[in-house]
Amino acid sequence: MAIRDDFEVAAGQVRAAVQRFALGLLVIAAFGAMLVGKADTVLVEHARVVALDLASPVLEAIARPVAVANRAIADLKEFASLREENARLREENARLLAWQTAARRLENENEGLRDLANFREGPEASFITARIVGDSVSAYVRGALLNVGRKVGVAPGQAVVTGEGLAGRIAEVGDNSSRVLFVTDVNSRLPVLIERTRERAILAGDNSARLRLTLLQSLAGVQRGDRIITSGDGGSFPVGIPVGEVVETGEGHVRVRPFADFSRLEFVRVVDYGVTGLVSSGHSTPSTPPGVAGQRVR
Amino acid sequence: MMKADGLLAVLDRWGRAALPGAALLFFVLLTLAPLRAPFLSNALPLLPALVVFQFSLATPERLPGPLLLAMGILLDLLLGGPGAPVGVSALGFVLIRAAVVANRRYLVGVPFLFQWFGFCLLALGFVILVWGFTALWTWTAIDPVPALIQYVVVVVIYPLIAPWLARVRARDPLNVPEPSRGTARPGETTS
Repeated sequence: MAIRDDFEVAAGQVRAAVQRFALGLLVIAAFGAMLVGKADTVLVEHARVVALDLASPVLEAIARPVAVANRAIADLKEFASLREENARLREENARLLAWQTAARRLENENEGLRDLANFREGPEASFITARIVGDSVSAYVRGALLNVGRKVGVAPGQAVVTGEGLAGRIAEVGDNSSRVLFVTDVNSRLPVLIERTRERAILAGDNSARLRLTLLQSLAGVQRGDRIITSGDGGSFPVGIPVGEVVETGEGHVRVRPFADFSRLEFVRVVDYGVTGLVSSGHSTPSTPPGVAGQRVR
Repeated sequence: MMKADGLLAVLDRWGRAALPGAALLFFVLLTLAPLRAPFLSNALPLLPALVVFQFSLATPERLPGPLLLAMGILLDLLLGGPGAPVGVSALGFVLIRAAVVANRRYLVGVPFLFQWFGFCLLALGFVILVWGFTALWTWTAIDPVPALIQYVVVVVIYPLIAPWLARVRARDPLNVPEPSRGTARPGETTS
């Protein structure tokens, strides 16, 4: 009897020791994971892609009900301003019809001139339409998960556009899923053109709703309302995708509002431009110089 | 000693044992749901921490450390962010559970307000931990305001969500006799 009691006491002590030890072990394991992630980025990318592929079917299953809920919320918001919205749209429609006429005329003229000049077009772009099945939005990252992946031809570095303009670029690709990094993400650097002046600049995100225009030759030429388009520098993006418009110019900084409305994205198109430029295919080893083609900068 | 259980009883026991882990997994995945509800979607990334806190209060033995580690790493992998530390949420979860278990005396069997206050403190610690490590790992000055907004929202909605997840034992004297401890095992409360 006494022996048994002793044994139980000892077992209890061992259990207590293991329990106390367990916390330390768990903390060490968590730190270990962080250090491994820091040391071996390729491994982590791989793990991210696997996790993404595993979670993607579940997310797709809940994407539809979530979309319905979102629509209900948006409807409620819009209901209040229906009349003003209608008037605004009618006015915009009239304006766009005028533009359409102008565009048709210019297209014809352009075609004729190209024939004359023997102009060779750049690579033809094709589109992959994707549903957004997950947000990867937190206080530290701006992005989304798509339900398309390597199997249909998505590759890292491809541009992701909405009807309004550029949304971001593909950062990670799994077999049936991929992750977009929005232009508003703090890691996003995008070579752009100011449409009016044809001046080149870099558009940088900082996790807020507005983008920063940096590395500009001269700030003086930029005006409010200037449209910003992709410049195609670095070769991974098509030229001339609308990105946003300048909403604020001050000393030393220019703020740009993106055209894409990130608060109501449901479907996007991935632009397959044929070339993925500096983004190496296969393994996405981050070995590119900073500030190129909206790639990640570490 | 143990009676041969019916199928239902077995299922019931398994279900109870699996509930906290399943709830945590659900909220980890919900973090990614593209929900666009104002404010609520801000707080989504912190809901797993809320789940960990609540079940650590109610049934910490059904939320073992290795499970928390795995879930935290999964959350970090899924939420992404180039260069962000993978495992910082795991560290946060483990620390939340340890803090709750070590302070059960002040958190279990006390008025709800105390639990809320406890959550305020621990969630703040969690947010600061994640923010700090993310800033350190990416070596950038990250704007702390979005993280603080997340924090405020999750603290405000805690009373709405927590009672649905798990009911913590009702108010009772701290020196409860052994038989009335309910599901809590002896030795679970560290002294």
